[in-house]
Amino acid sequence: MSFLGYKDIIEEGDLILAYLNRDTMKPIVINATETLNTRFGSFSHLSMIGKKYGTQIASDKGYGYIHLLQPTAELWTLSLPHRTQIVYTPDSSYITQRLGITSGSRVIEAGTGSASFSHSLARTVSDKGKLFTFEFHKPRFEEAKREFEEHGILGVPVTINHRDVCNDGFEIEDVELNATAIFLDLPSPWTAIPNLPKVISSDERVGICCFSPCIEQVDLTIKALQEHGWTSIEMVEIQGRRWEAKQVMVREADDAIERLKDVKRRKLEGIEKKRKYYSDNGIKKEDLVPENTDAETEEQKSQRMKLLEDEQEKTKVSKTEFNPFGRGLRIKEGEEGYSWVKVSKNEGEIKSHTSYLTFAYKQPAFVKK
Amino acid sequence: MSEEPQYSIPTVIQHGLHAIIRMPSEAKKIITLEKGKSINLGKFGIFDIDEIIGYPYGQTFEVLDNHKVRAIGATIYDTIDPAGDNEQEEGAEEAEATPAPESANATPIPETLSEKIDYLKKLDVQSSSDNRNIVDIGTAQSLSMEDIEELKKTASGANVGEAIIDKLIKSHETFHQKTKQSQEKYLRRKQQKFLRRFTVEYVSSSNLLQYFIEKDASKVLDMSLQSMGMLLTLGNIQPGGRYLVVDETGGLIVAAMLERMQGRGEIMVLHENEHPNHSVLTHTDYPQAMLDRMVKSINILQFFEPEEERVQFQEYTPEQLKELKSNKRTHYYRRKQNAEQINAVIDNAVSGNFHAAILATTLHLNTFLPKLIPSLGGSRPIVAYSQFKEPLVSLQIQSLSDLNLLAPTLQESRCRPYQTIPGRLHPLMTMRGGGGFLYSALKVFPLEKVQAVGRTGVKKQKIVNGEAKVVGEKNKQKETTEI
Ligand SMILES: C[S@@+](CC[C@H](N)C(=O)[O-])C[C@H]1O[C@@H](n2cnc3c(N)ncnc32)[C@H](O)[C@@H]1O
Repeated sequence: MSFLGYKDIIEEGDLILAYLNRDTMKPIVINATETLNTRFGSFSHLSMIGKKYGTQIASDKGYGYIHLLQPTAELWTLSLPHRTQIVYTPDSSYITQRLGITSGSRVIEAGTGSASFSHSLARTVSDKGKLFTFEFHKPRFEEAKREFEEHGILGVPVTINHRDVCNDGFEIEDVELNATAIFLDLPSPWTAIPNLPKVISSDERVGICCFSPCIEQVDLTIKALQEHGWTSIEMVEIQGRRWEAKQVMVREADDAIERLKDVKRRKLEGIEKKRKYYSDNGIKKEDLVPENTDAETEEQKSQRMKLLEDEQEKTKVSKTEFNPFGRGLRIKEGEEGYSWVKVSKNEGEIKSHTSYLTFAYKQPAFVKK
Repeated sequence: MSEEPQYSIPTVIQHGLHAIIRMPSEAKKIITLEKGKSINLGKFGIFDIDEIIGYPYGQTFEVLDNHKVRAIGATIYDTIDPAGDNEQEEGAEEAEATPAPESANATPIPETLSEKIDYLKKLDVQSSSDNRNIVDIGTAQSLSMEDIEELKKTASGANVGEAIIDKLIKSHETFHQKTKQSQEKYLRRKQQKFLRRFTVEYVSSSNLLQYFIEKDASKVLDMSLQSMGMLLTLGNIQPGGRYLVVDETGGLIVAAMLERMQGRGEIMVLHENEHPNHSVLTHTDYPQAMLDRMVKSINILQFFEPEEERVQFQEYTPEQLKELKSNKRTHYYRRKQNAEQINAVIDNAVSGNFHAAILATTLHLNTFLPKLIPSLGGSRPIVAYSQFKEPLVSLQIQSLSDLNLLAPTLQESRCRPYQTIPGRLHPLMTMRGGGGFLYSALKVFPLEKVQAVGRTGVKKQKIVNGEAKVVGEKNKQKETTEI
């Protein structure tokens, strides 16, 4: 049980996630004779056995590093092989909370797709609940089934069926589904809605969420929901945003003014020094930089160059001490001696639309117990 | 685990439990289901609690005369039309069709409400297909507030809502000319205002949160439903977990976690007062024995200075005990039990290895969170909620150079509600602002020891360090090629 429950120490046979970086996590099943090869080096499984979950290890050659994590549904969502569009954490966490899915809930999901949400639902309904998930695409069904199996959640709590729920409904032989929450992520939820009455609980309030990218789908879904007695219909869109935080230097205008004054002062100092140099040596600027150097002999030229060097040496203005913004230096973010302000911005690409979430509820049949 | 405790959320309305009442206006009220008592819903009527006992949670009722109720199927016009979307005062609220000559095909309005509703559903053809004739209700509205008051007096209690709707419909000779959408919208509005209906729901964490958001959002740190859902999901909350929690929402987060734990596991509540504030929990129905077993509380002094805070208790010998007077003895046993309890909680906290840290606190996280890290198990999430982004920005920056934290992330989730009338789908004009931000990271064990001992990794690691752009991106590789 890698996705349900907690484990402290990595053992033979465990499913772990090798974390390379934020976008690269590799699920592996620990087998002492195997080695994980990555672009950061090779890591023998043997070196992982006995380590605590969360440990960072060096590659066998010692130049790359990975973290060994216990898989969770949320990490899985970030690393799973995409067979379809998937439901991400901002949507899945909202849907779960909104439909009141908790440990012990009985949930219907169609289609399974890449099983991103299935993993999250399986974790939440836990070993005391049920997730009935349906997928009509054979290869996807098989892939998902294999994953559930490997992840220790097939059977309890996940039941997966190869089925077209729009045409053939949700019923499973010899099983009372009695679902209290439904999640439909398929192109035409309105054709699946009429099949629900037989498989939902009649003595509890049942919630449904239909997940559709287009507003036209929502329109048809709402009509179908109304027609089939679903109430409290609401539609929302969830927008999850990640923020990057960093520090930027506080650059005071007064310091910029001060710096300009410093530049000016040093410029004047240079001019003054030059003026003095010319008068002290009884020369003019033209002597050093004549307008026409064509007539100059080699001898004259080398003499002039010497003089020029001397002038530059003697009229040099000392380097400034005043560099409020660390120009020309390599300043590290947050370095001492400068002041910093903490800022944040949205990450480069934002998911601006995932899908519309249409929620509705079915009243329990009013039987008094 | 030898015995497997289990807790299921109640599904039937029973005496002694709590319930949340949702009224047609969407106003909510939390009640205790006391035997023999009645509940006053103001303009929606009064009913006896005993009347609703035995029905499933989620049931809708209509208030009849003499405090009686009738269980009813749902109304079709209850698609929520949240306040804020053009919801205005009587008189200006609804666009109306202008009066028109008697329509030849005007069907008489059916008798019962459900028939009426069915009838209206079939009005598609009769509805005017667009709204070119529609003018402001101010000129077409022919039912005055006095009329309504009069109706309320004359119609019998149960029927007053319907009677008013009837009168309203009749008073608009042009009702049929309204587009179907505006008919629906109109009926829904009237119904919200006058039908004496209410729904009895279980006091779920979502319901509780919504209740407080409407009543006093500051009490729950302005947390939105999506932030709460995200907090629980990122925290990987499940049955059997042991969680470290700082909850300044009065126990709402603890309640939400209990909902997902089904009676198994433990919540260590870390607080800064003598007792934790769990005022919200008083509205829930978790059995006291379960709370005692699952929810432990410890103050931050005890947590961070356990050795000083452990209670030194001088046990008496059996002989000494015998000599005590009975009231002294009782006192002794009480002190003993108290000391044992405190010490057990301290031992528990010291044992660490928690499965998640869930923080909704206004304490300064940059100094507080690092103190909590050692108490967490490896690969376990730390999730912090804040009403404001800035404290989390600061925490995020600090975390980037903390090798004990992997993949620190700062995020928010916003929910945009839509009007849900078919053919008229659009985002609502206004939505609730705020809702908070979430920080999350995983606790890890960095390779520090290897560095200290000076194994081969060190030199190469320095190179990695040199490449890292951000301060402290040590040991965190940059992406180069595919795996
Ligand atoms: C967008 S994907 C679902 C993604 C999934 N929610 C996740 O988070 O990974 C939709 C899936 O529904 C399946 N599907 C579409 N119509 C179906 C039907 N009538 N019965 C069963 N599955 C269906 C498709 O094959 C596809 O795999």
